[in-house]
Formats: sequence, structure tokens, C-alpha cells
Amino acid sequence: MSDFEELVPNPGEIISTPGADTFVPSTTNSAAIIRTNDSNEVEMGGVGQVSERKQARRENWRLIRRRPSFIIGGLIVSVWVVCAAFGDRITPHHPLDFRAKPHLSPRGGFPFGTDSTGRDVLSRVMAGARDVLKIAPMAAILGVLFGVIIGLLMGYIGGRLDLVLSRIVEAFLALPVVLIALLAITTLGNSDWVVIGVVAVLFTPVVARTVRSAVLAERDLDYVTSAKLRGETSRFVMFSEILPNVSAPIIVELTVRIGYAVFTVATLSFLGAGPPPPSPDWGAQVSDGFRVLSAGIWWTTFFPALAIASLVIAVNLIADSVQSVLEGS
Amino acid sequence: MTLAPAPPITAALEVKDLEVVYTVRGVDRAVLRGVSFSIAPGEAYGLVGESGCGKSTTAYAAMRYLPSNGKIIGGSVSVAGGDVTGMSEAALQRFRATEASMVYQDPGASLNPSLRVGRQVIECFTLLGQSKEQAQVSAVEALKRVRIAAPESVLERYPFQLSGGMQQRVVIAMALACNPKLLVLDEPTTGLDATVEAEVLDLVRALRSESDAAILFIAHNLGVIRSMCDRVGVMYAGRIVEEGPSRQVFDDPQHPYTVGLLRSLPRHGIRKTERALATIPGMLPLIGTDLPTCVFLDRCPIASELCRTVVPPIVPIGTAGDRFTRCHHSDRLGEIADTSVAVAITMFAPSDMHPDVLELSHVSKTFRQRGKLIPALVDVELSLGEGETLGIVGESGSGKSTLARTMLGIETLDQGGELSLDGKHLEGSTTNRNADAKRSMQMVFQNPDSALNRAWSVRRILIRCVTKLTGIKGAAANERVEQLAEHLRLTPRHLDLKPRQLSGGLKQRVAIARAFAGDPRIVVCDEPTSALDVSVQAAILNLLADLQAEKKTSYVFITHDMGVVRYLADRIAVMYLGRIQEIGLTDDVFKGPHHPYTEALLSSVPSVDGETTVRIRLDGEIPTPANPPPGCVFHPRCPRVIEGVCNVTEPPLVEVSPEHSMRCHIPLDELRRLQHGA
Repeated sequence: MSDFEELVPNPGEIISTPGADTFVPSTTNSAAIIRTNDSNEVEMGGVGQVSERKQARRENWRLIRRRPSFIIGGLIVSVWVVCAAFGDRITPHHPLDFRAKPHLSPRGGFPFGTDSTGRDVLSRVMAGARDVLKIAPMAAILGVLFGVIIGLLMGYIGGRLDLVLSRIVEAFLALPVVLIALLAITTLGNSDWVVIGVVAVLFTPVVARTVRSAVLAERDLDYVTSAKLRGETSRFVMFSEILPNVSAPIIVELTVRIGYAVFTVATLSFLGAGPPPPSPDWGAQVSDGFRVLSAGIWWTTFFPALAIASLVIAVNLIADSVQSVLEGS
Repeated sequence: MTLAPAPPITAALEVKDLEVVYTVRGVDRAVLRGVSFSIAPGEAYGLVGESGCGKSTTAYAAMRYLPSNGKIIGGSVSVAGGDVTGMSEAALQRFRATEASMVYQDPGASLNPSLRVGRQVIECFTLLGQSKEQAQVSAVEALKRVRIAAPESVLERYPFQLSGGMQQRVVIAMALACNPKLLVLDEPTTGLDATVEAEVLDLVRALRSESDAAILFIAHNLGVIRSMCDRVGVMYAGRIVEEGPSRQVFDDPQHPYTVGLLRSLPRHGIRKTERALATIPGMLPLIGTDLPTCVFLDRCPIASELCRTVVPPIVPIGTAGDRFTRCHHSDRLGEIADTSVAVAITMFAPSDMHPDVLELSHVSKTFRQRGKLIPALVDVELSLGEGETLGIVGESGSGKSTLARTMLGIETLDQGGELSLDGKHLEGSTTNRNADAKRSMQMVFQNPDSALNRAWSVRRILIRCVTKLTGIKGAAANERVEQLAEHLRLTPRHLDLKPRQLSGGLKQRVAIARAFAGDPRIVVCDEPTSALDVSVQAAILNLLADLQAEKKTSYVFITHDMGVVRYLADRIAVMYLGRIQEIGLTDDVFKGPHHPYTEALLSSVPSVDGETTVRIRLDGEIPTPANPPPGCVFHPRCPRVIEGVCNVTEPPLVEVSPEHSMRCHIPLDELRRLQHGA
């Protein structure tokens, strides 16, 4: 009888069946059911004229906003965004000025202490947000963009193209990300755009694989067959018919990728492939500071490292809440 | 069949004034509004009604399997005298292990795919306290009981290695492990082929005579209920509106809803040329709607002021005391206007009077799978006249859908075959066809949920189709879409909704509108009503017939429902393993003599009319097309096989009478004698 425990009807199906008018047969795939949300109200209340897509989006947004993980993550990210936006206009000291003796421990006036050349660590950590937030989201967006295009091609066109691209994707995934990035940056120079480009390219395969599997689930559905029957081009089918239906995993992937990008960018600058020395970059600060860690001077390493960790965790908290709403987990 | 409803002994299942609500977004919505019935030991009781009426909820409530947001707020359920509503978790577990069992619609989902069948069946017995060795023996016995020929080898296999019918047998064997007092069957044959369904129903029937378990049988198929159940309850909006012995209820319904439900079925061999199907106006009320008096009030053609103010009482019918209806006006049922009036427009006469629109000659389709050749279609010859409907029937795996997809160019036919449209060569692949050919052939799919892009509004779906197929753009396209929608009885409000906000019937209307966007010559319909309720099905079939009469469109209609195909089709092609076994005018195919395969298909359908048909049964399942049997492909399952002939040479498709061809070695007269002489 134990098997029967698993056979309790899926509550989702019943919840979303408020009557004949909106009845969803049990053959429907669950994605459609989960995303029903409040849309039934449109039929019931006759508010039908409000753009339904806007309403679904508003509803998802409302559900996301309510989650504590989103609130906490959002708060932390906003703090860093404010720091990045105003930079040295709100820091207590100028991040590049030598203000005190080197290696002062945290105290009044210098709550995070000073670094090896007597600069205020707090000011440098605050100003350092700008470097990361300039690069990481852009890199993630570009990576997702490439990944979506390649993933759509792999999933929809399939066949030999998929075979070849899949092998390339696998080969890319086997490469050590940081090493390749370092190599590319040393070769191409370390301008912001090079870092963005390199990180984006390294993210592309992962995104492509996610999109590919989402597209595979869509491409055999009858609406795609119907589009072919009326002679739509592959490009139209991919971008206008299928893309809107795989947007949920793509948005999730984007938020997750931003978190990874923060991490990767910080690692690169730690290894010296970031902005050049006087810049208050977090990774560079950690790399400066950790040499004196054994001498008991912990604050020059700890605070920038904490900044990196807080941003990565905050972005992941947001990604997590977006994912659980959009994918219903 | 025992008809006495009030047995002196304790009822196996007694449901009294059961009220269940589902909490949706914090609001309690009523699903069951006081359901009462009882089932005597050994009796089979059927619950029928359309989706959303509360059939399954009743069953789940009886087993206390309600989902977490469902709760029983009133009434009681007792199984064999034990109160289920108030049971503790531990008692409930014992109750489910020993007193009652349930069998679900999809046998594939009821079995754990990663465990061997044996382990799952044996577990049923170890849970009952048997030792491992005992359980092993019991498991073999259990499978023998459900007529599985080689139980030991089935126990060794994984669920996916078994056919659907076999899986359902295993599930039934597991349900019977504890010798339950109550067996709940929730749509046990819905996903299965007619031939397999017949097999499973036969099994349940046989098991009934061996055990005294009471059966609660839930199905939307009225024919199945009629053939399986002693008594039946007709449910509507969470209430039983009529109850009685099944034969009486179906032959002489006493509630307006039952009347409507039965009239919307294509029955007694009626044809679209004779009359339109009746429909029930309006829609099932939403869950949780306040229905203070009669639940059917809003859709009832004979409702009066009395119905609006006073809850209809339980009105006994007849003197036997085993029938009732919940209607104030059961004496006025005769006043219900029969909306299934004879159609005024004359439909088309047989195809030979009309020019052929589509012709297929020597059409084959071979798939290649891991280096193996799989012939899915073999040498199909067909023609389709203007305004004609060609029905295609056969079990799943017979090649029906491949044939449709090959016609449409979704699959490209093999070299050597030829498609022609209006006498002109037609390219095999859609992509190579010209705009006119694309416009001429469109499709209506089985499942409107997957056929409509869920990210698009209905208006966008239709406008895109109009623009792409006819070249009409902008405001003109929008205007055409609005006309089209009106034609298909969709309101302008529907145009701005997303598919998921529409009911199944409305979605299918949108799908049909899309197919008709470019005034097609041919529309291929792949089981367009199999996902719909009967009253909705009737409306869709009427719509298709109307559109055809008006636009002279030809249909290729794929279905497994014999009643539907008989109603709609002018000619029928019966397919088996990629070959046309029989093709002819609908009347000829139905009246016979038929090909033995057609005969088997026809006799496996339980009829709501209760007509007795000569029942021949098919053993086994359709063979894989990769490895077709020698000789006639049907011979291993054919009940009329001639050894030494059928297994040696494949019979050609020959015309046995005008417009009627079949592939069979048995002469027509002999078939006639075998099928009608008995």
C-alpha cells in the first residue's frame, strides 16, 4: 500500500480548477497549471480588458516581493548599489587618499581600520562596489544573451548542429574558468570590456545548455507544428513562438549568473587581472591584504572579503526567490 | 444483478450528506454539496458526470485522500460500518491497508518506474504482515488472479516494460491484495485503447464474481458505466441529481441534466446528415458558486419559479424504491425541447459525386531508428472528395497520426509515393509547398493546451495565422479575425484572453478558428474531442459539421471513438500497423460484413444504448512495426485466422463491393455468415 501514498492527487491541479469555464484537463503540463495564479479571476470578475500578461507579471512580482529571502537580498544589494552610484561622494574619506598611519586597527574615525598605505578601508570597500557592479551584471546579461541564442539553435534546429555545438559546450565546461579568463585577459589587456566579454563567453555554454533543455520540451508541442504548417521561418518559431514560453528558466538563469559573475570578477581582480592598483577593487584589496594576515592584520582582508561574500549571497537570495516563484519549487 | 439498494447487512460504503470544500487562496469553495449514497457488499456503483462535478473528490473523500487544501466540513463516510471521517492517522493507515483500495486512471503513474514489479507487488503483502517467502507466493497468486499468463516473468520486469493494459492489471492485483471491502476505480480505462479497455473491463467483471468487494466506479464514459455497474449516480455541481439502476437511468432518464447528457452523445448510429447533436446550454458553475436551490437551475430548460426558491426534494421514481431524481418537474421532462433537430442543410452525398481534392498513391513512410528501418505507413492509397469526411480509426500505434502528418507534410513520405492536391503534384514536405498548398491544408490537434501558444493571446494567434496564410495585414486582418471568432461563437472578450483562461471547449474552438483562418480545402482533425466532455464534444462536432456544410471543406477525422466517427464520417478507413485494412462508406463499414479487425474494434466499445454486440476479443497487443508478422499483419491476433493462408501471404486491398475494400483472405460471404449468421 505504500505506493499509494504517492498517489494523492496533485493539489495544484485541483486548486486551479475553479469551474468549467477555466477547467484545465489533467493532461495539461504542470507548468501551465502552476502559472495560473490569479488569472482565473479575470474570467470570474470580467475584468478581461486589463492586459493579462501585465497582470500575470504583476502577480509574479507580488509573490516574489513577499519572500523574506528577496527582502534581505534586495536590501543588501541596494546598499551596494547606493555605494557604487555615489562612490567617493558618500565615503567618509576619499578612497585613494593616504589619511593615517598604515595598518591602523578598526577604531573611531576608521571603523574598518586603514590599509598598508594608510587609506581608509571602509571608504575603499564602499567605493569598490562600483567596479564589481559595473562589470558583473553586464557580463551576466551578455552571457545569457549568447546562451539563449545558442541554446535556441541547439534545441530547435537540433540534428548535426546540436551535436557539434553540444560537444563544444561540453569542451568549454571542462575548461577551468579562471585560468582561461586570466590567459585571455593577459593576452587581450585588462580593460573592463575585455573582462565583461571573457566572463560572458565563459558563461555562455552553461546558459545554452539550460535553454536547450527548455526548448526541447517545447519544440514538439503542437503549437510549433502548427507554426510550421503555416510556413513560419525557423527564426520566427524560435524567437517569437518558443522564446516567450521559456522565459522563466532564462530569468532564473540570469539572476544566478549575476551572482557567479560577481564571484568571478572578484577572483580575477584578486589574481591581478582586475583594474590596476590604486583602484579600490574588492578582489585587489583582498589580494593586497592577505599577505599581512599572518601578522594579525586581519581587517584589510576581512572587510573587502565580507563585501564580496555579502553581495554574492544577496544576489543568490534574490535568484532563489525568483526561481521558486517562476518555477514553482 | 441485484437491484435492492437498502440491504439488511452493513453497507460496504455509506456516504451521508458529504460536504467538501477546497481552500483556494484563503477562501473555502464548496465542491461537494451534500452527497449521499450507499453501496452494498458485492455491488458495483457508478458515478458519472462531467469534469468538475465532484466525482473524483467523492472518491478521494471516501478514502480520506483529499489534497491538503481539501477538507470535509459535513456529513460522514463509513466503510463496512467503520467511520472514516473521524479516523486517526494510524487507524486510517490500517484502513487503507486492509479495508479499501483505489485504482487510478494512469497505471503508469501508479507504479514506481524504478522498482521491479515484483518488489512492488510483494510489498503489498509484506505490509499485511506476511513473511518474504509467503509474500512471494501471494504475489504470483495475485497476478494469476488478474489473468496474467506468466506471473513469474512479469514480476521480474520493470513497469515500463509492460503494456498499459498489463500495468493496469498489476495495479488491480495490488489493489486486491488485501481483499478489500471497497474497491474504488477512478477512470481506470480512460487512457487505454478500446481493445485494451475491453480487456480490463472484462477482468473487472470476472473479478466481481469472485470477490464480494463493493465497487465504486468513476468514469465519464457512460457506456462503460452502463456495462459495469448495477446502480449509477449522476453527479452535477457536487450533488447527486439522479440515482437508480443503471439500465433504467440510461434508458429513461428522469432529471433534465441526465436527459441533456444522454442526448449530447452520438448514439443509435445517428449521422450528421440526419440531425445535429443536442447540447446543454451554458456551463458548469464555477467551484464555490453559491447554488442555494437546484444546482442545475441556470442551465435547465424547464426551470420554474419554484426551482428558484425551493430546494428540489428527493423524488422517488417508480415503486421499487431504488430510483430517485432531485427535480421539481420530473413530470415535465417531455417538454424539454429536443435541440437535436434534423439539420435543414443537406450534407454531401458520397464522394464519387465530388471531385477528389486530395489523392495519395503508394504512400509509405519509413522511420529510421538506431539504424533500424521502421515502416510506419505501408503503401497507402486514399482519395478525399470535396466536402467529404474521411474517418480514420485504429488502435494507438496503427499509423493514424503518421498518415495525417504525412498528408500535411510534417513528415515527408518515402520515395515512390505521390501526393496530389486538386490533381496537381503536392510536395512531400511542408517547407517546399507553395503558399496556396499551405493555406489549403490545416490541422486541428488533439490537445488544445499544447496546440495553442500559451504565451500569446487568442487575438495574436489568429491574426498571425490570417496574415501568414492569406496575406491580409493590419486592421483588415483584425477584422477578419473578429468575423472568424464570431463564426465560431467566440465572443470578442475571448480574443484578448490567453489560452489557459479558456475552458477546454473554448480552446478547441480557437484551434478550429486557427485552422479555418485561411479558408482551407482540407482540415485534418486529430482526435479533436477526446479531451473534452460529452456536452462540449457535441457542440464541437456540430460546429465542424456546420463549417463543412457551409465551406465545403474536406475533413480527415482521426478518432478512436466509434460513435463520433459514425456520426461525422462519410467514409471510414480502418488502419492496422500502417496499412489500411478496410475502407468504405460509413454504413458499409458499420453494418458489415467487416474486416475481422474492424469487427473487434466495434465489439470492444461498451455502448450506452446497451445494444448487445457480438463480442470478439483481441489477445495481446499491436506488434511493433519494426518487425511486422509475416503474411497478414493482423493474423496473430485475428480470431478468424485461417492457418496456412493468413500467416503466409499478405492479402491485397481488394474491392469487395462498390466503394468498399478490405484486406482479408476470408471471402465476403463467409465473413457475412460468421458475423451475422451466429
